[in-house]
Amino acid sequence: MEINTFGVVCAAATFLNIWIGHVSVRAIERRTERLWQPMAVFALAGVFSLASSLNASGYNQAVLGITGFMLMWDSFELYRQQKRIRIGHAPANPANPRHQRILAEFPGANTVDLLDRPILGRQYTAEEIKTILKEESAK
Amino acid sequence: MTLFGIWLGLLSFLVVGLGFVWVIRGERYLGVYWWPWFMLLGIALAVGSLFVANPWLAAVMGIAGGSFVWGSTEMKEQAIRAELGWYPYNPGKVRSPLQSWIEKIPPPSL
Repeated sequence: MEINTFGVVCAAATFLNIWIGHVSVRAIERRTERLWQPMAVFALAGVFSLASSLNASGYNQAVLGITGFMLMWDSFELYRQQKRIRIGHAPANPANPRHQRILAEFPGANTVDLLDRPILGRQYTAEEIKTILKEESAK
Repeated sequence: MTLFGIWLGLLSFLVVGLGFVWVIRGERYLGVYWWPWFMLLGIALAVGSLFVANPWLAAVMGIAGGSFVWGSTEMKEQAIRAELGWYPYNPGKVRSPLQSWIEKIPPPSL
């Protein structure tokens, strides 16, 4: 039976795009003051990738097509990440002037990575979350 | 000129969108300890695609497989989000096969 590696290439392209996108969106949003700049870069790179896939063949057209849509999604995720910072679902970076403004303006924003903890096996009480925020903000 | 790559990109976009849904629902109703099964499902889809000659079907299996493997690594953070009250918390989750062993493995989070 002939082995067809096309699906595995698509799997790798999908997984790596999500992984790299997930990590880089968080890192870039954290460090950038003007968020529209990386958003524009990601969106343009996405369009370029899709346009390149039109004239590509074999593995390349699939990888460029998948990467193109993922880059455009990453552009939107940069914006969504900022919204997470505002409501305190992702930690703000006090060294970033844009995040400083968010911390001043949005009462829910904080500098604590609440997701970086082991599984508890039950819901936290509101009191417990307050204590975690207080203790870890002080660090 | 070919639109095949664009269609596959659009497909991966939709599959990833569905990933948000199943990770949230899967964690709520089944729980984080199902992560190895989702990971195995993803790997099985990708490996299975090796034996599929049709490029469309192979691509669908590969993209879904890659997305399942990623989603399996998202379940731990989703479990914490539910415990923090950011998503509805369900105390009556379905026990995973081999759960007592799986609980000893730190769930992946990339």
